[in-house]
Amino acid sequence: MDRVAKVLDQVLVWFILVQMIALTAVVIVAVLARLTGNSVSWYDEIAAIQLAWLTYYGGAYAALHRRHIGFDTVLLAIPMPARTYAVYFAEAVVIGFFALLAFTGYEVLMILEGEYLVSLTWVPVQLTQSVIPIGAALFVLCEIVSFPNYLRTCQRGVSLEHAEIEEEVEMELAKAQGAKP
Amino acid sequence: MIVLAMFLVLVLLICLNVPIAVGLAVAAIFGLVVVEGTGSVVTVALDMYNGSTKFSLIAIPMFVLAGAIMNAGGITDKLINFVNAIIGFVRGGLAMVNIGVSLFFAEISGSAVADVAALGSVLIPQMKKRGYSAPLAAAVTSSSASLAIIIPPSIPMILYATSAGTSVEQLFVAGIVPGLLGAFGLMGMAYYFARRYNLPREEAFEFRRLWRTMVEALPAFALPVIILGGIFGGYVTATEAAGLAVVAAIGVSAFYARMDFSHLKRAMLDGGVQTAVVMLLVAASVVMGGFLTRAQIPQDFARWILDITTNQWVILAILNVFFLVIGFFLHSAAAIILVVPIVIPLIQAAGIDPIHFGLVVTLNLALGQQTPPVASVLITACAVARANIWDVSKINIYFIGVLFAVLMLCTYVPAVPMYLVEVLYRN
Repeated sequence: MDRVAKVLDQVLVWFILVQMIALTAVVIVAVLARLTGNSVSWYDEIAAIQLAWLTYYGGAYAALHRRHIGFDTVLLAIPMPARTYAVYFAEAVVIGFFALLAFTGYEVLMILEGEYLVSLTWVPVQLTQSVIPIGAALFVLCEIVSFPNYLRTCQRGVSLEHAEIEEEVEMELAKAQGAKP
Repeated sequence: MIVLAMFLVLVLLICLNVPIAVGLAVAAIFGLVVVEGTGSVVTVALDMYNGSTKFSLIAIPMFVLAGAIMNAGGITDKLINFVNAIIGFVRGGLAMVNIGVSLFFAEISGSAVADVAALGSVLIPQMKKRGYSAPLAAAVTSSSASLAIIIPPSIPMILYATSAGTSVEQLFVAGIVPGLLGAFGLMGMAYYFARRYNLPREEAFEFRRLWRTMVEALPAFALPVIILGGIFGGYVTATEAAGLAVVAAIGVSAFYARMDFSHLKRAMLDGGVQTAVVMLLVAASVVMGGFLTRAQIPQDFARWILDITTNQWVILAILNVFFLVIGFFLHSAAAIILVVPIVIPLIQAAGIDPIHFGLVVTLNLALGQQTPPVASVLITACAVARANIWDVSKINIYFIGVLFAVLMLCTYVPAVPMYLVEVLYRN
């Protein structure tokens, strides 16, 4: 399970970095083109697609590290063993939703066969919208892989958000100390 | 009845720490299945895709990235030195510097948690060495970091503008005066504590030092000039300004020749993930929004409130209480995405300016960042200062009081946030 998590982590990290760089490049090229009077027609459509890809692949990475916005105060206040059952139930809801999204996303892809983008007429819409079933399937995988650790953390009564903040703070403090002459 | 059931499903899922985006979508699917049958579920995939392609939100990753690059490029030290040269001579100078630098940082990144981690890790240890108690150092850092979401560029403002269908540029302008008022108010409160605990002054004021530090920090001012000058001058949109801010940030970091690439890689990853997390919420809100609109819920809610009162000041008071309470429990992005689409018809029917209301919402959520249990900014400051959250809150309540006073002023004297908007856009 750990090896799968590591591979997923590395693949998604590089995908997100490439997306961020590509999105920035597209926005900058489009701004400069407009300011010099040569607006590009594909800007809005391509940038919006990139944002959707960043949303779902970045969302899968956030699931792997349990970084989605949530509220764990009530869950952690539930006495054991009921808390464990609650965690299992919540996990089933999340996985169930993304499984449904992957299924319906695939159905939509079938309907979109033969459609192309408006601005770049050689790019099939199936390619751009493939992010929904693939992203949703990746999300499910990331949830399953990260679940054992999440379950243990919840059973110990530790808030993941607080643990993440501690980690961030340790890093910034180390950086600040390292920067001192 | 179905809306009540959906609300209960949503609350149950949130209480079980299901990601709010998923809770929102699942509650919407529940409503869809009950009212429109299982055949309507296929639209969820389309809504989730369309919701994640909202063009105006491209500004979010760009601003996050610009801030991260500037932070990785060694801007923090230059700004601290510059603000110290301006205001460090006052009693409690380091607290003033903390607030002053937060003001500059707010111009750059738009993310309060990132600011508090970056600034706090440098300033809080120094404050503790100079005799500030850990809770006071944390309270000053935490409260001043909230200026980041009031002063442009602000990610919650971009989200509000998209949710309410208003101009993000006008909302940015509306945030300037309240942000400055908040900063000066926080400085006043810091001065009160400095007198009370006899906290030290930093170095004496010297024009030569001010000039030297200003020259060193000058490239860092490129970002506020591009963001504010470009947007307010009508040369670029908020999204374009965000793209240019990234270019400027790379240029400034290259100028300082201090780019830490491992930090930059991590910052880019964080920026991407932060964007993804918010965008997933936006996408889920489209599923919910579509259902609520078809069921006429926002309009019914507006009629229900307007039957009780049509006085816009009373309506603003009700919404202030509502947003303050919701700010205790939800992150600002979630609160905006969940609530704003529902209350906007009420705002319009009551004749309240949506830009004015946007600023009121933003101020409420700035307060929410300071109040447990969900208070990411406060928790980060406490973690840096190694201080107990309740000890910090006992002091922070005074600084929250300052921000609350700014909220009341902006709510009931609309000219405070709206004067600049009127001058720049409506005359």
